[in-house]
Amino acid sequence: MLKYELKKFFAKTANRVILTALILIAVVYSLLAAESMSYTDTDGSHLSGIGKMTAGRRLAADKNRQKGELTAEKISGAVKSYQELKQQCQGELPDTEFGKTVQSYWDILNFTANVYTVEPAFLPDVITQLTEEDTEHIYDIYAANMDKMAEEYAETPAQEAFIKKQYEKVNIPLDYEAYDSWETMGMYIQTYVIILAVAIGFMAAGIFDEEFRNHAEQVFFAAKYGRSKAARNKIAAGIITASIVYWAGIGLMSFISFGIIGASGFHTPYQLSDPYSIYVMTQGQYYLLIVLCGYIASLLSASVTMLVTAKMRTAKVAVCLPFFMFCVMLFIARSLSEVTRIVYYTTDVLTNVIQAVKVPILFQAGDVVIPQLPLVMALYFAVSVILLPFIYRSYSRYGLAKSGK
Amino acid sequence: MELGFKNVSKNYGEIFAVDDITYSMETGVYGLLGVNGAGKTTLMKMLCTVTRPTAGQITWNGEDIFRLGESYRDLLGYLPQDFGYYPSLSVSDYMMYIASIKGIRPGLAKKRMKELLEMVGLSKYQNRKMKALSGGMARRVGIAQAMLNNPKILVLDEPTAGLDPSERIRFRNLISGLAEERLVLLSTHIVSDVEFIAEQILLMKDGKFYYTGTSEGLIASMEEDVWLLTVPRQKVNQYLQKYPVGNVKHVPDGAELRILSKTPPAKNAVRADTTLEDAFLLYFGQKAGDENVEV
Repeated sequence: MLKYELKKFFAKTANRVILTALILIAVVYSLLAAESMSYTDTDGSHLSGIGKMTAGRRLAADKNRQKGELTAEKISGAVKSYQELKQQCQGELPDTEFGKTVQSYWDILNFTANVYTVEPAFLPDVITQLTEEDTEHIYDIYAANMDKMAEEYAETPAQEAFIKKQYEKVNIPLDYEAYDSWETMGMYIQTYVIILAVAIGFMAAGIFDEEFRNHAEQVFFAAKYGRSKAARNKIAAGIITASIVYWAGIGLMSFISFGIIGASGFHTPYQLSDPYSIYVMTQGQYYLLIVLCGYIASLLSASVTMLVTAKMRTAKVAVCLPFFMFCVMLFIARSLSEVTRIVYYTTDVLTNVIQAVKVPILFQAGDVVIPQLPLVMALYFAVSVILLPFIYRSYSRYGLAKSGK
Repeated sequence: MELGFKNVSKNYGEIFAVDDITYSMETGVYGLLGVNGAGKTTLMKMLCTVTRPTAGQITWNGEDIFRLGESYRDLLGYLPQDFGYYPSLSVSDYMMYIASIKGIRPGLAKKRMKELLEMVGLSKYQNRKMKALSGGMARRVGIAQAMLNNPKILVLDEPTAGLDPSERIRFRNLISGLAEERLVLLSTHIVSDVEFIAEQILLMKDGKFYYTGTSEGLIASMEEDVWLLTVPRQKVNQYLQKYPVGNVKHVPDGAELRILSKTPPAKNAVRADTTLEDAFLLYFGQKAGDENVEV
């Protein structure tokens, strides 16, 4: 039964068009991600045309000259080198110098600047102002700033303790490996995740309106399992197809992208990009977090649209909901963030992980403190599962109300 | 084997589609006749558990069919009037899907599918997409799907709609063959479809059974006789206004009218055999006009 339910799904013209579009988007996004990588050669030239596709791997090879433990000495060396070059050049750094040396330790400079300035600042300004003493004690300053951050971010002692505990998980000195591919792909996959969640909602809704749209409901509900196993199989088909489509899309895009730009830096700490994030993880885990949140968003999208379609017997309203949940809600949450904390836990958080990991939003119940992302993930995964029996009930009881239709 | 209606009603607000029907059916072919809007389809939908009665009870061997649920639907084969299907599936995939939701094991389902497609003359088209079938072919798939589980209760709502004359004849013969040891409820407004095969006629009007019994009994209950009368063409309208007229046939010297009347409408009128169609015309009057009746 499930086999034919899946066959129906994949045989539908609208679904085939959407799946083709999703494949095309994955390919185009992968190429755009590869194209967005910037590499400067030792002679100061930039790659262009098809050669730009090799930028990711060449950049990683160059930066991986710094691979290994990021000691204070290594940081000092990078800062000193940059300061000397800036002094020699008296202004804008020539591309040749950037390509020869600066490019390879650019991430280290970036990390150093971010340790000293929490608010985004112009990197050269920060780096040129650092003294040798500053860089030699960078990890002491980093640790002291972590304590300050914990005090600043926290609203209660429990939250402060929680943040400090999180920061203790940061292994100092950090381990460095070029991570541009993960960082770049994080941005591209985040957008693709939104597209997938909306498309999956659209297709899942179709599973529950096709009987009504095609006037096939009478044969369906008069069949032995029409109000039981067949309805359950429709739900299973919704979840299975949502999973297949999602992971196939993510897999395809990841495969093409990382295949082109390389996958260096999976184990590089995320703190190299954002030193004071309360989410202590690697760059690879950060990518997987975006993808996992996207999967929960897709499941939620499928569950909600299936339920609304099963209730209304049409997908017309249901197909609009994923767009509202993951796109419109993003703007609503942003504009209401000063007014209510509820917007910290809305559905758009699942598809805006890039922003969520940067902001230390904590939920506290009693002494238990939970960061925003795990809470939102658990909440919406639970909602996706809890909705399933309601979908079954709404669908399988079609026509059984004594009054009216 | 008894299918019973006990004071069954179904209303949509103020409108009663089915109004307090009590009746009992056993094996055999039952022809449900009525004009559009008489309540036939609503009655059949209730019988197939697609919709629930507002009041009353439908029972199978004394048990409520909605309470029996799966075990009742296991006995059921249904071809709705508005037969819909999944356009992107092939005929064989459609049949296999319906077989699966009817709880038929894949091996048996394949065998049944082959037999039934053969029976309805669609073996050659089993790989064709449903959306590529003609209306008549789709209807034949509808008949085949209804038969997949070898149902004890076969409910066919306007099964011959869209079939050409030869298909209709083939279908009638098919139903006659199927009627043994099963209950077939055949709803139609094509009188000739039920005339030859239905053992029992159920005339439905305004949500009620207006007449139940054999077609012979229905004909015998008529006080009117059927008269054939040839009149000049300019007088046709005059007769149409005065009598129920079953047929107007143009002949070289005017028009031959088939008139229902207790007395001869004219001296030269000749008595003819009464048919079910005449009874239908008499009982449904003007409502059974050209729009509703096919013969």
